[in-house]
Amino acid sequence: MSPGEAWPEPETISTDVAVVGSGGAGLMCVLHALSARPDLNVTIVSEGAVGRSGCTRMVQGGYNAVLNPDDSVDLHFRDTLQGGKFLNDQRLAWTLVNDAPRVINELETRVGCFFDRDEDGRIHQKAFAGQAFDRTVHRGDLTGIEIMGRLRDQMFRLEPVELEDVRALDLVHDRVGRLAGLTAIDMRSGRPLVLRARVIVVATGGSATMYRVAAPAREKTGDGVAMCWRAGLAVRDMEMLQFHPTGLLAGDARMTGAVLEEGLRGAGAKLFNADGERYMARYDAERMERSTRDVVARAGYSEIVAGRGTPDGGVLIDISHLGAEEVERRFPGMVQRTRQIGQDLARAPVRVSPTAHFHMGGVLIDADCRTALDGLLVAGEDAGGTHGANRLGGNGVAESTVFGARAGDTAAAIAPHRPLLEPEPAEVRASLERAYAPLGRDAGPWPFPLTTRLKELMWQCVGVVRDAEGLAEASKELDVLAEDVDRIAVPGPPEVNFGWQEAMDLANQVTVARTIAHAAAWRTETRGAHARSDYPDSDSRLRYVVQRRGAADGPVSAIETEVRDVEFSYRAPDGDST
Amino acid sequence: MRNRHRKAGDELRVSVTRSDAAAADEFTVPRIRPMMVLDALLAIQRTHDPAIGFRYSCRVGMCGTCTVRVDGRSVLACQTEIPERAEHIRIDPLAGLPVVRDLVVDTAPFWQAWKSITPYLVPDEDAAGMDATPAVIKPDSAERERIDPSLDCIGCAACFSSCGIASARRDFIGPAALNRAMVLVADSRDTAAAHRLDVVATDSGVDRCHYIYGCSAACPKGLDPAQAIRRLRKWRFDESR
Ligand SMILES: Cc1cc2nc3c(=O)[nH]c(=O)nc-3n(C[C@H](O)[C@H](O)[C@H](O)COP(=O)(O)OP(=O)(O)OC[C@H]3O[C@@H](n4cnc5c(N)ncnc54)[C@H](O)[C@@H]3O)c2cc1C
Ligand code: FES
Repeated sequence: MSPGEAWPEPETISTDVAVVGSGGAGLMCVLHALSARPDLNVTIVSEGAVGRSGCTRMVQGGYNAVLNPDDSVDLHFRDTLQGGKFLNDQRLAWTLVNDAPRVINELETRVGCFFDRDEDGRIHQKAFAGQAFDRTVHRGDLTGIEIMGRLRDQMFRLEPVELEDVRALDLVHDRVGRLAGLTAIDMRSGRPLVLRARVIVVATGGSATMYRVAAPAREKTGDGVAMCWRAGLAVRDMEMLQFHPTGLLAGDARMTGAVLEEGLRGAGAKLFNADGERYMARYDAERMERSTRDVVARAGYSEIVAGRGTPDGGVLIDISHLGAEEVERRFPGMVQRTRQIGQDLARAPVRVSPTAHFHMGGVLIDADCRTALDGLLVAGEDAGGTHGANRLGGNGVAESTVFGARAGDTAAAIAPHRPLLEPEPAEVRASLERAYAPLGRDAGPWPFPLTTRLKELMWQCVGVVRDAEGLAEASKELDVLAEDVDRIAVPGPPEVNFGWQEAMDLANQVTVARTIAHAAAWRTETRGAHARSDYPDSDSRLRYVVQRRGAADGPVSAIETEVRDVEFSYRAPDGDST
Repeated sequence: MRNRHRKAGDELRVSVTRSDAAAADEFTVPRIRPMMVLDALLAIQRTHDPAIGFRYSCRVGMCGTCTVRVDGRSVLACQTEIPERAEHIRIDPLAGLPVVRDLVVDTAPFWQAWKSITPYLVPDEDAAGMDATPAVIKPDSAERERIDPSLDCIGCAACFSSCGIASARRDFIGPAALNRAMVLVADSRDTAAAHRLDVVATDSGVDRCHYIYGCSAACPKGLDPAQAIRRLRKWRFDESR
């Protein structure tokens, strides 16, 4: 260690393209970058195991793509906009629906996935809520294993540099503010790294873990968005946090929040409150349980809050009327998951609660994943705009693979024309100082109770249904929390120290949480996933708020905002194509 | 904490193998219900030692990164329920893989073996890409009936750890990689079957297996790698597959 420093001298590595995250977006990006330009040096930086971390791996239900001649991309587009309550960035949504069928082709014929087939041997597509056509491609009810398993196999063919168990910290610029690389920590050794790169692709998969009941994988703590935020990039739709209507309740066990997939409702599962009433009739009599996620989640939440929930704060999902054998055949993964916690989906109703699932908000990008910072691309859940106010089931993995692929194409096109720059030492030092601080402190809180505080606060005040009072409270509390997070002390060595990881996760989560609460207070209407009890109606004028970090430094930086009108570049809300 | 009276079954003692001989390796955590092995590890992390090393990501049996040995058996920590009557469990890192710290192992040898069988589809180049059409293959075809039950491997290495030969690092490709080889050899979309059959016929291939069936018993996804190995042995000599 250099004298007086809390960390050893960072090792510097240089690469053409650095891909941060190894979910669907990250690995599709590698596939495309190296297919377009095999001579490029591509480096994966992944906090979790490569191809075996993040939520693409956890995809159950499936992947929306137009494959049937009776279906059309126009129809998929319309479903996506209607689901998104027309808040979508239409260029991104249009790109999604147009590229999805081609990416399915690629996943099948190049990557080696094999999705379930119809009797005639063609790809089977099942019904998913909120869609006018059965277009969801799947492999049983555990589709993500097939997609990520096969993409992981492709890495053995393409041989990118894999920095596994390496956590990206911050984007760093050169002396004149151009993107030069990123700082990182090798979590096995606890040692710092500086990765110089011509192009950086951020694909860390969003931040939906910051709620008491939450579905995603451990690593999804807003690192990518927070990283971009600190670098001054703009974000949009941050108030749009999707709750999946059917998360498992398993007491204090970590299984709580795990999702029972949407296909259950597509296949006829019914929802009941504790009084035995099929309550969806009061919220969406026409579509009932097949209504969109926002509506079904809010309905469940309202039942629970109104005292019509189960003692552990849930409602009941029941598909047992199909017969145990049929349920076991069609949803083996889901049945097993409920048996694990002492319930049985095949034979009886199962207790569920809305669970934080997916962040529609994220970094502003164009259809080629470019951002306002030259050389920086963002793809997958870290980006905002594609889904508007609510994501359709099956459009998430489509987004990560479609935009991951495009990011790879873009990276291959621009990397040869961007120089390798020299990161500004002061920026590197500031980043590492923040990262290592919790290890260096003698006294201070452990991260875990603070994580619990954050999740509880977000659940209560920035959750399924919000109001001005709660949001004001949340903003205040988050500022206090940010200061507390700045005092965390973690004992133990730097090697493989997940307590330390959690301290770093928490700093990023609070950064993102502040923007969510702030944007939620701004949107004084109810739209999609954002429900305001004090503003139950939707405005006729469609606007979104773009947020950027203000000048102030430290954990509670100011938030600058700019309000924009939604552009209806392809289709206006009344249904007319423009 | 005050010495409160607890009735039996309120607490669980957990022994964990630690890398640092001086680190605590016996913990008492509150019993919750349901309770997976992962919940016990998280309780230790949250209340005793924030720096204890163990891995997990999805906590629903999909990522395959939480594998440990519990009372000697190689299992997924997130999917293994602690038996109702248990008062004590012991948790060790996987066998046959170098320990990085505590319960975290370096899975490189497992993936090295995986890589050796050419684990990716080798398609006919004219039939691959974004504009290629997915193959028409009936779900009840002989091919799919072989492949489908063997497909959902999550790379957790439970089979590798439980196999006396692979975990002793006696130059054996191991059950998971051989299962993957079988799947690809059976796949009509693939063109590299001959090559893979050569690889599995080498000294580190199928003939190392002694048919103890530890792998098939250990697989948390219910796959049957031992059967895959038997098939590969047969296919080596049988062009008709
Ligand atoms: C339980 C569950 C079920 C779902 N089911 C469906 C479904 O059926 N259909 C559908 O369309 N969508 C589904 N989704 C949504 C879908 O998974 C996401 O939309 C999408 O896959 C996200 O992909 P991604 O590549 O952006 O991120 P992810 O796949 O989440 O990958 C994130 C990656 O970033 C890495 N990472 C995180 N932080 C860092 C850091 N600081 N440094 C380096 N690496 C980092 C992680 O290790 C991981 O590799 C589901 C989501 C969940 C949680
Ligand atoms: S944590 Fe993913 S399989 Fe256990």
